[in-house]
Amino acid sequence: MSVTGSRRLLSLVASIVFSLAAGSVQAQTRAETLRYVTGASVNTLDPNIPGSTREAFAVSLSTYDRLVSFGRKQLNGKWVFDLSKITGELAESYEVSPDGLKMTFRLRKDAKFQDGTPVTAEDVKWSLDRVVTAPVLGKAQLLTGSMTSADQFKVIDPLTVEVTLPKPDKLALPNLATVYPIIINSKVAKEHATADDPWAMAWLKEHTAGSGAYKIETFKPGEQVIMSRNAAWNRGTADKSAFFKRVIVQSVPEPATRANLVERGDADLVIDLQASDVQSLEAKSKLKVISTPQYNAVTFVSMNNQIPPFDNVNVRRAIAFALPYDDMFKAALFGRGSPLFGATWADGKPSSGAYPIAQPVKLDLEKAKEYLKAAGLPDGFSTTFSFNVGQASTAEPMAALVKESLAKIGIKVDIQKLPDAQMSTQINEKKLPFFTEGIVAWLPSTDYFYRNFYTGNQRWNYSSINNPELVEIAQKARFEPDAATYEEDGIKLNAIHFSEIPQIPLWQPSQDAVMAPSVEGYTYQFHRQVDYRDLNRK
Amino acid sequence: MAAFGATVIRAGRRFLSSLPALFGVLVFTFLLMRVLPGDPAVFFASGPNAGKEEIEVIRKQMGLNKPVPEQLMLYLYDVGSGNLGRSMMTGQLVTKDLRERLPASLELTLTALLIALVTAVPLGVLAALRPGSIIDHGVRFFCALGVCVPTFVSGLLLIYVFYYLLGLAPDPTGRVDIFASLPPRRTGFLLIDFLLAGDFDGWWAAFRQLILPALSMALFVVAPLARITRASMLVSLGSDFVRTAHSVGLPWWRVVVTYALRNAILPVITIAGIVFSTMLGANVLVEKVFSWPGVASYALDALLSSDYAPVQGFVLLMATVFVIVNLLVDILYGIADPRVTIG
Repeated sequence: MSVTGSRRLLSLVASIVFSLAAGSVQAQTRAETLRYVTGASVNTLDPNIPGSTREAFAVSLSTYDRLVSFGRKQLNGKWVFDLSKITGELAESYEVSPDGLKMTFRLRKDAKFQDGTPVTAEDVKWSLDRVVTAPVLGKAQLLTGSMTSADQFKVIDPLTVEVTLPKPDKLALPNLATVYPIIINSKVAKEHATADDPWAMAWLKEHTAGSGAYKIETFKPGEQVIMSRNAAWNRGTADKSAFFKRVIVQSVPEPATRANLVERGDADLVIDLQASDVQSLEAKSKLKVISTPQYNAVTFVSMNNQIPPFDNVNVRRAIAFALPYDDMFKAALFGRGSPLFGATWADGKPSSGAYPIAQPVKLDLEKAKEYLKAAGLPDGFSTTFSFNVGQASTAEPMAALVKESLAKIGIKVDIQKLPDAQMSTQINEKKLPFFTEGIVAWLPSTDYFYRNFYTGNQRWNYSSINNPELVEIAQKARFEPDAATYEEDGIKLNAIHFSEIPQIPLWQPSQDAVMAPSVEGYTYQFHRQVDYRDLNRK
Repeated sequence: MAAFGATVIRAGRRFLSSLPALFGVLVFTFLLMRVLPGDPAVFFASGPNAGKEEIEVIRKQMGLNKPVPEQLMLYLYDVGSGNLGRSMMTGQLVTKDLRERLPASLELTLTALLIALVTAVPLGVLAALRPGSIIDHGVRFFCALGVCVPTFVSGLLLIYVFYYLLGLAPDPTGRVDIFASLPPRRTGFLLIDFLLAGDFDGWWAAFRQLILPALSMALFVVAPLARITRASMLVSLGSDFVRTAHSVGLPWWRVVVTYALRNAILPVITIAGIVFSTMLGANVLVEKVFSWPGVASYALDALLSSDYAPVQGFVLLMATVFVIVNLLVDILYGIADPRVTIG
């Protein structure tokens, strides 16, 4: 072998060894990195900015702390958030006065913002003032917990904040654990405030000034967010910093590509795959699939109760008995969810005061025809059925089945597929007679659902129902301290719902989280996104 | 040199004369977006609890609370001062979004066009040299296949084979490996930026990301280019000057390349120009499938959510690109055939 030959061989061996070594270094950091892929995108770093996406909410959970946070519990062997267990996040402890009108929060002494300055009561006051004063999303949210004015937040001493309420409100404390009331480093934010923008909204949209578990490394709206761990953060469940050193949130619009990525092990976690892909991935059982029914969300077939012929309760009942529930459930969701149809209520009374509960409806064309006759429309009528493009993968097969089944009782349905913005505009203007939509509540309680989704001439009252009795019971239940009476009220509300049948609850779709087998700790959260702080790797 | 100067002056004049058209596009898109039956404020105020008040806030933020003629004047003033507005979707200035995304789209489209031309022109020439032969039928079959498979299908197939099954291609998510570091931004074209930074590993990584989407786009446009090449080659091969060239005993390759092809290339350039402009705007599906951060998928997302500013900015950008490409095509004409002048 010549000298040059052996030298060449040597360099080849060296380069192979070198690249193997480099590979193992990379593999190590890869294990400490979480790569999460999603079809949506992050558009702001402050969840309060009008127009924030849900992915932006998820990022804010990691970059900011709140005063308190929800605990978690096991439901059918899966971890889900627990509304009844509220623990301190920035607050070391909290206290609610016996009359329920005062909440006192004592801050952690060791809590520091990411720039190293301590978190003080002044910061908390400024941040909460911002949520109820500035034109932000949190304003409407905190309103549901009776927090409306900056006067309600008082600094007692540098580590104590007091919140006063006009009425004892069950939802006041849980509201402080929602996405919006983030605690901002007020000194930094004030530096970037201007006369036009006293709450630094423009600056906070693209920068963070929080105390959260992760710092923003790169933020490319619509493409990716890369976050690195804040080693000083200790507000996690076990009083230690988050597990992953780096979190990558990447937008991958094509669902098939997302499925490929996670199957090949290049991505660690995805929650928005198509039901068909989830099913085939589950069948291969190479990956971990955690399906949690979204028990704070409901999918409906809605009817506008003010537009004829849907203003006639018998027409609504006819529709309720003419929908092919089982076929729809299979075609739209591949059966992945919990159904809200086909129940039997003993003596025709609602089985519980919870919301939503399964309704005693099933496909019964004879009954449907009778109701149509009672409505004076024995020959049926024509109408449109609308859904938005964003939901097409589930709503399209469903709409076809609705059309087919209603044709059997003489109702002619034209299917309308509307761009998302157009659909929300038409819903807001109350122009759609018959459509499918979904709702979600961060703080699910029976009165909350009825007050927000069945009351008033507003957008979320999809069915435009106007029932004074329902409104009265729901308003009263809001401040009802006694659990048994609250349950009674819930049963009454559910009974009105079934007799009026303003809209037809179909199901609660599952959140299918598909992840690498090594990823642990996934918890279904109230905001229906991933809280990256929950996760670790075996 | 004088001829070159004249070309530049003529090109400049052509560009100026297209300004009214651009202005028309600007106003037309603006009005069209307002006529569309989606209200962006309602759409973007869709968080839980977003009520009338939130909708009003967004409307004000987007300037939609003013009458349309006033909005138009404000918009024209903004465009005149180089501001295309702010996107609600990404929360960024539209000019910034487009500046970041246009190079991605251009890099992809140019590569695809290059692949397409390098394949289509020889294929077309081969087919024209032996019309009716096996080669001709083979080319026709290949072209038909390319056209009838939509780009997202070929894209998904390529991903399935080269990424999912064989593991040869990197994961199809964007322009570089998510774990890799980017070169300092100079042109925005990653292949060029990596070269300028002297990072050849990076260049290779970016090239590997680029090749699958470029291929699936190229497959779709090979057909028109090859067919046009074949047709115009047939005409020029059958013409008198080629017969003369043959009869004076010139070598065959010289006859084909210098005499026949040069005369046949004009329509190919025209089609290539059109194909390029169309690809740039219409490669939405490829951009979606490969998570390519380009302008087309950006515009589609904006359109679905009735986000006015990005859509208007995108249409204006596309119109400008069209004007420039047409200008380039005209100049190339002059080079390919000195008898043609632009005016």
